[in-house]
Parts: sequence; C-alpha cells; structure tokens
Amino acid sequence: MIRFVLFSVRRGWQGFWRNAFMSVAATATMTLMLILLAGFWIIQSGLLAGLQFVEQKVEVVADLTDDASLAEVGRLRASLDLMPQVAGVNYVSRDEALGRFRAQLQEQGETDLTAFLDSNPLRASLEVRLTDPEDYRAVIERLRAEPLVTTVKDVGNLVERVLTVTNMLRSAGAVVLAIVAVIVLFIIINSIRLAVLARADEIEIMRLVGASDAFIRWPFVFEGALIGVLGAAITLGLLGLAADPIRLVLYDFFRVLPLQIGSLTRDLVVLVVGAGVGLGVVGSWVSVRTYLIR
Amino acid sequence: MSVAITGTSPRAALDRLLGRPRVLVAADQPVVRMRDVGKVYPNGRAALREVNLVIPEGDFVFLVGPSGAGKSTIMKLLIRDEKPTHGTVVVDGLDLARLPRRRVPLMRRRIGIIFQDFKLLPTKSVRENVAFALEVTGAPRRQIRPAVDRVLSIVGLTGQADQLPSQLSGGEQQRTAIARALVHDPRVIIADEPTGNLDPLISWEIIQLLLRINELGVTVVMATHDSEVVTALRRRVVALEEGQIVRDEVGGAYYRAD
Repeated sequence: MIRFVLFSVRRGWQGFWRNAFMSVAATATMTLMLILLAGFWIIQSGLLAGLQFVEQKVEVVADLTDDASLAEVGRLRASLDLMPQVAGVNYVSRDEALGRFRAQLQEQGETDLTAFLDSNPLRASLEVRLTDPEDYRAVIERLRAEPLVTTVKDVGNLVERVLTVTNMLRSAGAVVLAIVAVIVLFIIINSIRLAVLARADEIEIMRLVGASDAFIRWPFVFEGALIGVLGAAITLGLLGLAADPIRLVLYDFFRVLPLQIGSLTRDLVVLVVGAGVGLGVVGSWVSVRTYLIR
Repeated sequence: MSVAITGTSPRAALDRLLGRPRVLVAADQPVVRMRDVGKVYPNGRAALREVNLVIPEGDFVFLVGPSGAGKSTIMKLLIRDEKPTHGTVVVDGLDLARLPRRRVPLMRRRIGIIFQDFKLLPTKSVRENVAFALEVTGAPRRQIRPAVDRVLSIVGLTGQADQLPSQLSGGEQQRTAIARALVHDPRVIIADEPTGNLDPLISWEIIQLLLRINELGVTVVMATHDSEVVTALRRRVVALEEGQIVRDEVGGAYYRAD
C-alpha cells in the first residue's frame, strides 16, 4: 500500500516534468484562477465587514426622565446588558447631549442658538447597540416598559430599510462569489482535462498492457495535486508580495471596520490551498475517468 | 476467486493467478474459443454473425478478409476491448463476456497485444517501454530487469535498449512492441495488422520473429492484409467476409484456391 502510494507519487512527479509544457500551462491557469478567486473573496470579506459595520450603527435610543438618578440608570444599563439582543449600552448625559448638538450645528455652519438658552432642554438618553438589528422590537418593548424611559425612538422604519439594502448587497456578493467559484472550477478542471487529454495515448497503452485503474489513476491524481500545490504556493507568494499595499487599502477603506487581517489571512491560505489541491485532484480524477470507463 | 477457469488443472490455474512461471501447459485446452459470436455495434451495424472459432495451443492463425469484414472486431473481442452482443468468447480459460470490468487488467496481462501503429510511449526508452508492461503488474524491480533483457535479446534489440522510439526504424519499433507483448510470458499473442505500416522486407523480418515466438510455444493470432506472406507460409487461414467466417483452412493461401 505504502509502496503503491510512493510509486504513484514518483510517477506523478515524473509525469509532471516529462510533460512540462502542459503542466506549466495547467499550473499557470490554476494560479490565475486562484488569484481571481482570492481577489473576489477579499472583496467579499470587506463587503461583509462593511455591512456588519453599517448594521451595528443602528441603535435604539431611549430618552430618560429628568429625575432618573445615576444609580437607577446604572441598574437599567446592567439589566439591558444582560439581554442577548444587546451588544452594548451607551449613556449620554444631558450635558453630553447638548455638547453633541452644538458640535452638530457648528459642523453644519449654523449659528449656535443654544447660547440663548437659559437651561438645557435636552434629555439624557441610553443608546443601545444591537447584536442583530433584526431584534430591535424586543429591545424597544423592553425599554417602553421601563418607568425611567420617557420615549423610545421608533427605529423600525430605518432598520427595515438598512436591512433591505445590506441583505441585498450580501446576497449580491454571495452570488458574484459563487459565479466566480463556478467559473474557476470549470476553467481549472478543463485545463487539467486538456493536460490529461494530451496523454490519452499513454493511458490507452497502460490499459492495453494490463494496468489496473488505480495504477493509471493515482499518478494523475497526485500530478493534479502537485499542480494545485504549486498554483496555490505561487498565488499565496504573489498575494504575500502584494499584502502590504492590500492591507493599506483595506485599512484606509475600512479603517473603522471590524475587519480582522489575521483571520482573513488564515482563511485565505485555507481557501487557496484547499481550492487548488481540491480542484487539482477532482479535475484529474474526473478527466482520467473518461478514459477508464468502458 | 470469481474468475471462470475452464478445463485447466487447478495447479496451472493457480500458477497463472499468482503470476508464477507456467511449468505445465494444458495442451488439450484451446487458447481461444468463440462460440456463436455475434456483435452488433450501438449504431446498429452487425459486425459479426454466428462466428465459431477454436484455436488450439501452439497454433499460428492468419485472420484475413477485406476491410470491414470483421477482423478488427474479432481482435477487439479477443482483447476484451469490446464485448460480444451474444455468444461466448473464451481466451486462455477466461470467459470475456462475463469477466468483471475490474478483472480486465489481469486478463490483459495474460495475453500479448501487437498493433499496426506500435503504441509505444514516446517519452520512454525501449527498455522502459518493455519494463512498463511488468511495472503495471507491480512486479519487483529485481525481476523486471532480467525479464526485459531476455525478451530484448529474443527480438534482437539488446543494442538499442536505451534509445527512444523516435530514434528507431519502423521495424525496430514493432520489435519493441513484440518484446513488450512477450515480457509477461503470454500464452497467446494477438497481432492486429502488425506489418501494416512496414515495407515488405521489414514485414518479413517481423513475420519471422513471430514464427520463432510461435516455435517457443506461444499461440499467435494475426489479422493481416498481406496476401504474399499468408500465401507463402501456408499456415492456418481464417477468412472473413461480411462478418462471417467463409473459410477456415489449414495450410491455406490468402485467396481461395479454386
């Protein structure tokens, strides 16, 4: 068994180099397709992170009664934090609210009218961030039942609109990625099929002298895996060279986004190596099968 | 073991299954037996009808007839490249119509096959091409080397062992193919127009070689168009026309002697 594997690996290696032209062509195709796949996957990851960021911007804001003490507000905060739908709670005091309002006016170039006020008309509020914006109703109801809360802004309309857009973009991204994946699948399998086709005579001769199917198939499978490994290595090498510029763009673009470069890199390595080796093996298996079935 | 082994002694069958050298040959058992064989291709063309053919051990048989008469179909049936539509084809004790697909490679190792277009691997040397037929059986290297040397000396290619097929003449390429067919010590050699691509002088060399191999006890079935060779040798001639055997004559000529 081990002898057979070693023998097949050796013959796969020989087959790769003795048909260098077709092997290089298949490896080049594999590399280009893996770069395409990786590129779209990076874009998709950025898109998802961006959408998540936008969705997290959706907050339920509850105005508090003026006589709510800090201790009471603290208890309310703690109990909200325990809700699974709540990602975080931010307390905005009356002074902070006024400060924000002033900054906003200034930004818009309006005259600061608050200077004419003799007291602060704004209420303190709790800004509740949601783990999933779909769950806004439960949070709103919880807040409405609270005696400390005067009004809860109805964000329903906003949430629905944001979710419509983000879900659409998410589906579009998934569809584009799926289409790219299918294209990559077919092009890689076809390029390997061509490499095998160029050796149809060799397969026929092997069959005629009494080679078993396994004996014929496995060297090709290992050769396909070799093409996949090489293609993946070249792809990752090129991406590694381009990593700094890519990272710069990503940081620039998604500076504030929860994009994790570390896990992105890890997933990318798994994706590229997995797709390369997997498609190489499957492509060879399927291509050789055509010549074995009789 | 699900292989149909008809008639041979259990000992000989075991030897063959284990790939041991054959010590004793059941001489009374025909190497090829075709009974009521018909072949209809998927396109509806009837290539063979009611073919009955028995070839005993040690025979040298010419299969002749015009193109499309069914020679190639018989060849394909004998090497189990095609299955008969009805009837039975038994080669070296194996019923080919009932042989499971996965056992076909084992069956191919027991026959030697020679083609008009040689079918050599262009990237392998003469020695590697011949050794290849043993490598596929998983034979250990120390057995392959002497076996290859032996058959190369039989076909007279010891000096060209390390050349590539492209460096050889047509006759030398065909001799390489014959060496490959011989290397696993077959009981029968199936040759489909082995001289079809060669000029007359070289053709004679190849025929002489096949005759010598036949003298070593190997049965030879050869499809050919070469009327001069067939007529000169006066061996057994099986003539086909429109998918039927019209003549089966020992010591015959290419054309019917009227």
